[in-house]
Amino acid sequence: MNILIIEDESRIAKRIERMTRDFFANTLLSLHHVEALSDALEFIKNNSLDIVLLDLNLNGENGFDILSSAVSESFHTIIISANSDQAISAFEYGVIDFVPKPFNRERIEQAFNRVLLKEKTESHKVKLLAIKKRSRIQLIPIEDVLFIKGAGMYTELFLTNGKKELHDKSLEKLEQLLPHTFERIHKSYIVKMSEVKEVIVKPGSKYIAELKNGEFLPIGRTKYKNLKARWL
Amino acid sequence: MDFKSLHFFFVIVTVLITTSCAKNTNFRSYNPIYKLGDHPEWAAKDWDDRDWSNKVFVDGGEIFWSRTKVNITETPKPFEPYGVFINTFGEYEVFWDGVLIGKNGNPGQEADHEPSGELWATYHIPEELATKGTHVLALRTSLYYYPDHSRKLRIIVDYYDYLLRDPLIDTSFMHMFAGVFLIASLYFFFLFLSDKKEYPILIFSISCFLFFALIVIEYINHYISIHYSQHHFRLEIIGSLTFCIAILVPLYFSLQFPFPKKRSIMIGYIGVLLFVFLIVHDRYDFTAYNMGMTMWFFSTSIVLYGVYKKIKGAIIVLLALLLCALINALTYYDISLFAGFGVILLGMFYILSVRTKEQRIAYENSLVQSTRLRLELLKKNIQPHFLMNTLTSLIDWVEESPQKGVSFIEALAKEFDLFNKIEDQTLIPITQEIELCRTHLDIMKYRKEVDYLWEEEGIDYNQKIPPAILHTLLENGITHSMPLDNNSILFRLIYETGNTYKCYTFLTIANARNNTTRTKEGTGTKYIKARLSESYGSKWDFSSETTSLGWKNTIKIYL
Repeated sequence: MNILIIEDESRIAKRIERMTRDFFANTLLSLHHVEALSDALEFIKNNSLDIVLLDLNLNGENGFDILSSAVSESFHTIIISANSDQAISAFEYGVIDFVPKPFNRERIEQAFNRVLLKEKTESHKVKLLAIKKRSRIQLIPIEDVLFIKGAGMYTELFLTNGKKELHDKSLEKLEQLLPHTFERIHKSYIVKMSEVKEVIVKPGSKYIAELKNGEFLPIGRTKYKNLKARWL
Repeated sequence: MDFKSLHFFFVIVTVLITTSCAKNTNFRSYNPIYKLGDHPEWAAKDWDDRDWSNKVFVDGGEIFWSRTKVNITETPKPFEPYGVFINTFGEYEVFWDGVLIGKNGNPGQEADHEPSGELWATYHIPEELATKGTHVLALRTSLYYYPDHSRKLRIIVDYYDYLLRDPLIDTSFMHMFAGVFLIASLYFFFLFLSDKKEYPILIFSISCFLFFALIVIEYINHYISIHYSQHHFRLEIIGSLTFCIAILVPLYFSLQFPFPKKRSIMIGYIGVLLFVFLIVHDRYDFTAYNMGMTMWFFSTSIVLYGVYKKIKGAIIVLLALLLCALINALTYYDISLFAGFGVILLGMFYILSVRTKEQRIAYENSLVQSTRLRLELLKKNIQPHFLMNTLTSLIDWVEESPQKGVSFIEALAKEFDLFNKIEDQTLIPITQEIELCRTHLDIMKYRKEVDYLWEEEGIDYNQKIPPAILHTLLENGITHSMPLDNNSILFRLIYETGNTYKCYTFLTIANARNNTTRTKEGTGTKYIKARLSESYGSKWDFSSETTSLGWKNTIKIYL
């Protein structure tokens, strides 16, 4: 695990650091702490990370400035903030958890477990998917997404306007964040169920989902049972 | 908008009142002719007066006669007798077609008697003598006072009742009009007493009173006998009142619509007005009219400047002044003077009401602002960023070192206590403010684990300061600075005084965060500025700049 803590309160940073070390023990590969946004952005650009712990109010600067770039990355973001009224907006951006201050060990560990156990977020409030463009971050409203295809470490978002966008998060990580209207139908596909027109059963137990726009997506055999139970 | 209709109403009423006396005449009088000397037969209707002249020169006190031909064009209705109204200087006996019909004083004996008789007098004409046709009004006059004052003999022949009643009707209406201004004068005078800085209110009150006095003095002759020797005195009073009003009205406008070089322009104006007042001093009506015109032009210039500067209410007042000009163009002297002054005073009244409203709104805003500042002060300690971060650090300290945790809690308790004490104040002792800063640093030491240092220089411990403004600067300093290499940040408060100011300099000696943008005004700066405005009006300066050592904030308060 490679973890970055972005926190300007030295005492609190130490506390998070201590709890993180205790939790991950020898699975922790690296743990860094930065105080300022600019340092954080620099660090994220140059290092491969698994989890970022982010305070939303840093030296009077708005943490949402960094949040959109953080959530466009491949890692999961956990917010640790004093402003619990910002939790809903943070979830809309697609963070895996929001830990309000003051926090205890149990709450931090719960957040880590959510990442590790690939649990879905409790809120399912994600409304925007942040994708990296050449020089900026673009926020795509979740309702514009038809389905998502895994492409190795990355994913491809297929949008209602026919366009295709690349996202840095893996299919597993996105699955954790996406609301219940999205379903994992295949090891390489997540689809918005309202876009599925029909499920076609082909000979040899092959299942295919026909979308409203006429595209066909394969359905995994194991996923089909789950799908049938919930949607058919 | 109410005031507009009020203006209109008053103008209409004034015009109606003063024109109600317009009436068709039923007589025609010719120019009087005079002769020095005293012969009772000169009263006769048929006396041959061809050698009489248009003028008579007297030294004072001697008898002279005047004869005036009067042509009655309409026979009076039965039992409604005619009378003759006479307005002339001197004491005299009145003969109508040779018959003595009245006596005004003691002609020829003025030196030996007290002045008696009056300047405006009405005499009953016997019914049998008031027939249609030509008559002769002969006056046996003496002129002891002001013998060189040439004054025309004015006569009016009309129904006797009408001659007596009509001036009183005019007078009663004008006195009602005057009463309005008396009440306004008293009301605004009391208003001024409650706030002695409001000079426009005082000027308005005095102007109203002078206008009231002007009307009363102007119409007083209709119910109080005035001897011709007192006439000049009354006209002097009227002239002086007009003069004072002509000074006060532009003075008032100059306060409401300020313009550059006010003092010298006002002095210049008073010079011009004095010139107008004194140049043809014995032509009273003419002088009053000229002063009115001078005042109008000057006031209009001031108000035009106000309109140009877009000062609230200037347009309405300009309309009132233009209305004056219109009244002046449409009516004759007396009406234009009174209606004109009346309209101008109403314009002044309107401005006053506009200003009063502005003041009330400003006051209400200041109340809202005070409440808002108080809330902002209270919020400092319960806003989540401060409170939750403090509590998180506190939990950590308690877990690691309960003893330090207790010290931390004590520091926190102290800051809360101080905030409670200053929460409803607009100024607090500087000692309290410094204590607040020191306590805050104690808390932040535990949170940030930075060595915060506090220094003071030249502090006058008797001074007062708006609450939490240094505290706000301290918070900014903590947020936007990075510790020096020895993990310390130094705050230094310096107090200096000059002849006209006192000045607090607040230095933060630290490394500035390179990426922080402090160009746009934060809530902290707004709070400081609002607090300074609350306590010092506009007599303060606040500046904030980077220095080679860190940050420098300067608060300058002018005495």
